[in-house]
Amino acid sequence: MKLSINKSRSLWWAISSAIILAGIISMVISWQNPNIKAPLRPSLDFIGGTRLQFERDCTKPGNCDQPIDINVVREVAKAQGLGDSSIQIVADRGTGAENGILIRTKNLLPEQRSNLQNALSEKVGTFDEQKNQFDSVGPTLGQELFTSGVIALIVSFAGIIVYLTFRFQLDYALFAIVALLHDVFITAGIFSIFGLVLGTEVDSLFIVALLTITGFSVNDTVVIYDRIRETLKTNPNGAIADIVDDAVNQTLGRSINTTFTTMLSLFAIFLFGGETLKNFALALIIGFTAGAYSSIFIASTLLTLWRERNGQSVVVSGESIDTSAGN
Amino acid sequence: MQRQRSLLILILVLIIAAFTVIATIPIPLGLDLRGGSQLTIQVKPSAEIPKITERELEGVKKVVEGRINGLGVSEPVIQTVGTDKILVQLPGVNNPEQAERVLGGTAQLEFRTQKPNTETQLLAFQASRAELKAKQEELRKSTDKAAIVKNQEDLQKSNQAIAELFESTNPPLIGKYLKDAYGEPTQGNNWNVAIRFDQQGGQLFANLTKNLAGTGRSIGVFLDNELISAPTVGIEFAAAGISGGSAVITGRFTAQEANDLGVQLRGGALPVPVEIAEIRTVGATLGKDSITSSIYAGIGGLTLVLTFMVVYYRLPGLIADIALLIYALLTWATFALLGVTLTLPGIAGFILSIGMAVDANVLIFERTREELQAGKSLYRSIESGFYRAFSSILDGNVTTVIACAALFWLGAGLVKGFALTLALGVAVSMFTAITCTRTLMFLAYTIPALKKPELFCPNLPTNQAEVAQ
Repeated sequence: MKLSINKSRSLWWAISSAIILAGIISMVISWQNPNIKAPLRPSLDFIGGTRLQFERDCTKPGNCDQPIDINVVREVAKAQGLGDSSIQIVADRGTGAENGILIRTKNLLPEQRSNLQNALSEKVGTFDEQKNQFDSVGPTLGQELFTSGVIALIVSFAGIIVYLTFRFQLDYALFAIVALLHDVFITAGIFSIFGLVLGTEVDSLFIVALLTITGFSVNDTVVIYDRIRETLKTNPNGAIADIVDDAVNQTLGRSINTTFTTMLSLFAIFLFGGETLKNFALALIIGFTAGAYSSIFIASTLLTLWRERNGQSVVVSGESIDTSAGN
Repeated sequence: MQRQRSLLILILVLIIAAFTVIATIPIPLGLDLRGGSQLTIQVKPSAEIPKITERELEGVKKVVEGRINGLGVSEPVIQTVGTDKILVQLPGVNNPEQAERVLGGTAQLEFRTQKPNTETQLLAFQASRAELKAKQEELRKSTDKAAIVKNQEDLQKSNQAIAELFESTNPPLIGKYLKDAYGEPTQGNNWNVAIRFDQQGGQLFANLTKNLAGTGRSIGVFLDNELISAPTVGIEFAAAGISGGSAVITGRFTAQEANDLGVQLRGGALPVPVEIAEIRTVGATLGKDSITSSIYAGIGGLTLVLTFMVVYYRLPGLIADIALLIYALLTWATFALLGVTLTLPGIAGFILSIGMAVDANVLIFERTREELQAGKSLYRSIESGFYRAFSSILDGNVTTVIACAALFWLGAGLVKGFALTLALGVAVSMFTAITCTRTLMFLAYTIPALKKPELFCPNLPTNQAEVAQ
């Protein structure tokens, strides 16, 4: 079976554009939404606030007999002047029993926090101190985290462009970045949709995920580029579309297998890795899939189009390895 | 084959070394795994100090250290982060309210006068406090929390008793009047601590010293209500006190002691407000749950990847699996050697790197298959599989490392851990994929029963590969 990716390139571009467009629309809607006010639903990592998680101590007799009534919890929060907090009842992962409370509110002082905890404990049962979780982030720090994350993304993009220009050529590097942006946009777009529909939040690990996607996606693109460069060297006069098609086909097995083995690890993290890492793994699953797709269908087809338009008399970089050796 | 043999020995040595390292050096767990509180304290500029420099930050850190010591927590970690933050880790602390209250305030430095006729008392109290402090240092290394808390209470009582021997001047001579303090060497091997006040402070200090000169009573230098120094004033200053706004505390300090006291004084003098910018607390049981689920995820991911490789790539797949296990072992040992603290994202980075580590092998094997299908001999196919895949492997990994470097430099806390583990993983995987797999492949090639191309590539069109040799 041979894939002629360049024949139907408008189809691949249309698919990508449709997904990216959906993401952008979702971002705009999110931005207009008074509850979100940002393209993606930010977690308290970025906007600041306090998140408290309590779990009832079920080793105490009678403590967990009654299910937790969310309205009671709301009442307590309201009485503490925290009426606008988001409150959730969460299930214990081991038993599936709904013994946990998750509250997200504005930044609380230590006193306010212990008051809330005591008041709640009185109404719904004793909490297990060993299972409590608090996160409190000030608004300035959140802003800083976000800024440094975005700068990290830009710096790594620049680094990759420089490296690829040095190892290949500038046009290779630029299309690799286009493929990268494609992957980042698709991941962010899908998470924006999740944020609207499921209330999924993005935290600082999401930025980590985007950067990892960056590294992985370029890796994939580079392997194909490497093949294109190699073939161009032995066959400098061939039609660029054919050369790119061949390169993609020759590396297809590898692309699928590598993505597959990485996905195996990611699904393991997604299924067993616990709450904190779930969204992280999900972002990587989406991003890596997009990355495999963009290397095959976007970066290569764009390079073809570019070289067809600009003629093929571009000198192949002297950096390539000597392909005659070993034969 | 000589080269293969020495490489094989090298790999064996590395494996044994890795086992030894893993057995002897435990990997410290991050607070998200062992439970505890992590606070980020932000030092904010003020009207007097518009820009926080390293000197100020050092001073505030010293103050924070003093306060943490007052909390009686075992194994606290206090470090400066960036240009204006201090990171405090308090393992095992589930209710950080007290820590937050204690750490959040601005430091209080005050120069007080010793009450008359308390000289002997002060000496006795100071001796017993020094004992308690030494004991606290000892206890801190143990995990006996009850003993630490008990000793801490005694220490607090002792501090309180000492504080009662002093009284504030009117108006009080507090830290905001202090302009600078630093250790300076004298002739001989001793060090002094020089202090400088502003004009108003200088006046207050002159009054204070005038009252105390020649009496044998000392100036009580208090930081957060704890006596940090108690110098006396010579008789020669009885007339006018120490005027001019600057003074020297002599006392046969070592360079270290003088510097410490200087930093403490500066920290206490800082009118910079501090703010708890971030606090994350994880209960101990919750952390344990996370470890368990990470182990499941790790074993699950590894098993799936190992199985896939054997099923798809046959003999080379098995060899890659061995290399992958060596990879996991070496990476783990590297973490231990470098003292990487394991956090949840760090574990995720490690598990992810297992999935990505096979990439190099996949590239090599795909190439080997191609060469075999093109009719090359088995030996040549393996050889050129490695040779030709190398540039792709290098390019791919360098780009990943670039992303990791950006994360490491610009990211904070947890993010750094992830970047470091992923980058180390990539580096080790380059080594194992190229060196281990290669050595083992050629080792397999020397065993006649394994020297069959169909073991390397199923569905070869003909057996021409054998002929070509």
